[in-house]
Amino acid sequence: MFEIVSFLVLLVVGYAFGSLAERRHYRSIQKLEIEFNSIPAIASRYPPVDKAYQQQLVVGNVVIASDYFKSFLAGLVNFFGGAVVSYESLLDRARREALLRMKKQARAVGADYVFNIKYETTSVGSGRLASIEVLAYGTALTPSGISIPANPGS
Amino acid sequence: MRYENRQSPEGINVTEHNPVAHLLKLLAAAVVIIVLVVVLANLFASRLGRLIPFRYEQALMQHVTYDFSGAGSESVAMQEYLNTLVQRLSPLLEVPEDIELNLHHNPDGVFNAYATFGGNIVFYNGLLGQLPHENALAMVVAHEISHVLHRDPVAGLGGGLASMAALMALTGSTGAGAVGNLLNKTGMVAQMKFSRDMERAADRAALSAVNQLYGHVNGADELFKVLYQLSGATAEQETTFDAFMATHPLHQERIDAIAQWAAENGWSTAGEITPLPENYYDWL
Repeated sequence: MFEIVSFLVLLVVGYAFGSLAERRHYRSIQKLEIEFNSIPAIASRYPPVDKAYQQQLVVGNVVIASDYFKSFLAGLVNFFGGAVVSYESLLDRARREALLRMKKQARAVGADYVFNIKYETTSVGSGRLASIEVLAYGTALTPSGISIPANPGS
Repeated sequence: MRYENRQSPEGINVTEHNPVAHLLKLLAAAVVIIVLVVVLANLFASRLGRLIPFRYEQALMQHVTYDFSGAGSESVAMQEYLNTLVQRLSPLLEVPEDIELNLHHNPDGVFNAYATFGGNIVFYNGLLGQLPHENALAMVVAHEISHVLHRDPVAGLGGGLASMAALMALTGSTGAGAVGNLLNKTGMVAQMKFSRDMERAADRAALSAVNQLYGHVNGADELFKVLYQLSGATAEQETTFDAFMATHPLHQERIDAIAQWAAENGWSTAGEITPLPENYYDWL
């Protein structure tokens, strides 16, 4: 009996606090994304050649824990197969937050753009409630002040 | 070249879903599947188990050197008395000739009696010492003989093993986490039903034999009354939840069932109680 009650309490608490934390996190992400749109993060490996830029590695990483409810739901999906939708928002938040932190670092070094964006992810910790880490990194391009001729070869 | 990051709409990488409804749907489906598989595996394997000839059980037990009588020396007088009761009850229970019953008196204080493979039945001092009269003891003895007669030990083992194997095969992918734990528990609870059904069937057969032996069923429910007292529970404290989780039916349910079966069959619930032999408690 105690086991069932503690399980239900964990499930309800996990759902309540997990949803609350998620809503808050999304609000913060959406606000910061608008704020940091001035620093484009580009997947391309080829930087603009309009002027000379200093290049610098910028990184942003975040570790987000799953809650009991999400993990339990994911475990149930594991039984049947199919998309583990309960983890989708967790990964979405982690990716976006990591990118924002990377942009924050880029802004701190005065970058105009961040190119060659890459993501890496790994699970941190073990046991029932594992957390995920997402690392976003790229090459920040900071104007060096030296202008480049339009047709350097002519 | 101009670069910009436009704000993309939400909901592309995250599927819109109601997590609670999703959980309830999956949970219900998983429970139904687990219960169904356990019930089918148990039904199949326990039926198969009952088809194994009794002599195979006996042959198997000849290789087992387990001392059912425990560390202490068993009382010869108690053993003889229990044997007498078995001899009186066996024809009433229609025990076939090929089924040989081996009684063991264990001086341990455990409040228990059980029937196991090869017709071995063990009575512990802890239980024997709590019984106030022969009618109660006869009910216990007849109950354990019925287990042997119904081939419950082999059916229980077969059904249990098959259910466990099916459960492990089903829940193996869910691991040792909360989901695996919950599904395994669900399977075990489903399995308990078979155990309770065996107990009810043994109670029913035993009551009929006791009625034939004494001409009434007075005192047959004494064991469950003693169990009730020992558990310290009241009828209000025994909940539906307890009934669902237990290997045996609730004590009150068994007492009520005895009264009901007696009424259905027109067996008298009033009659003279047969005392235990004078030196019974010295034999413990």
